Amino acid sequence: MGKKKMTPEQEQYKKLEQKHELKRPVLKNCLKAFLVGGTICLIGQAVSYFYMYFFHFTEQTAGNPTVATMIFFSMLLTGFGVYDHIGQFAGAGSAVPITGFGNSVISAAIEHRTEGFVLGVGGNMFKLAGSVILFGVFSAFAVALIKTLLIMWGVL
Amino acid sequence: MIQSVNPEPAAVRRNSGKDHELAEKIKKEVQAVPAIYDVAVIKGKREVLVAYKVKHMQRFHMKRIEKEIKEKLEKKYPKETFIVSSDFKIFIEVLELKKRMKDKDYSEKDSEERLQKIIQFKKELT
Repeated sequence: MGKKKMTPEQEQYKKLEQKHELKRPVLKNCLKAFLVGGTICLIGQAVSYFYMYFFHFTEQTAGNPTVATMIFFSMLLTGFGVYDHIGQFAGAGSAVPITGFGNSVISAAIEHRTEGFVLGVGGNMFKLAGSVILFGVFSAFAVALIKTLLIMWGVL
Repeated sequence: MIQSVNPEPAAVRRNSGKDHELAEKIKKEVQAVPAIYDVAVIKGKREVLVAYKVKHMQRFHMKRIEKEIKEKLEKKYPKETFIVSSDFKIFIEVLELKKRMKDKDYSEKDSEERLQKIIQFKKELT
């Protein structure tokens, strides 16, 4: 953008556009995302302490059930249509924690339910979140491979 | 969670004054470390379990702190086996075990078994 020389009409239009375009409230958005994301993480922390107090999980091992529970919560909220509103209000604050991942899987599953279970739900559920899973699994594989090789060669 | 409980050091063998003394000494030793607060020590038949809480801003250095405490204790008491942990679950379990040990009917065998279970927590990773 901006590399090519603009014609006078284009420049004129750009000026007009800049006059009317609303400014993005970056700071306000950041604050909202921070607060809502922090609240989600606070709930997560509470769940993790719940698992420590009432079940046999340590700080190390409480992470896995906590993640599962948070995804379960986001599933309920998505199904009842609350999570969309949270997402609209908070933006990245609701998308970055694990609940955003759950939301992207479940909302896709709900959306394509009418197309049937196999081609609809099964085919579309992982359209957005599949890349996250694939990337995570593949990078874990690559790192583990490198580590195994380094140990075999006696570097580590 | 955040506030200090400051539990008394305890030993599984009830009538062994030596064990109690040792536990007390270890507790003082560990408490001297500035990055931590609230230390709980339980001397088992073979192992010594040390649980503590790390000050919030020092939690980035948790691994280093654990290593330092373990090395310090092992240097000072080479005969003992130490299990050192900053895990909150282990801290809760130590408090629970101490509560049970106050009961006269709770035998030494039971408390030793429970201690072994707590030690298992330390080894669990997934």
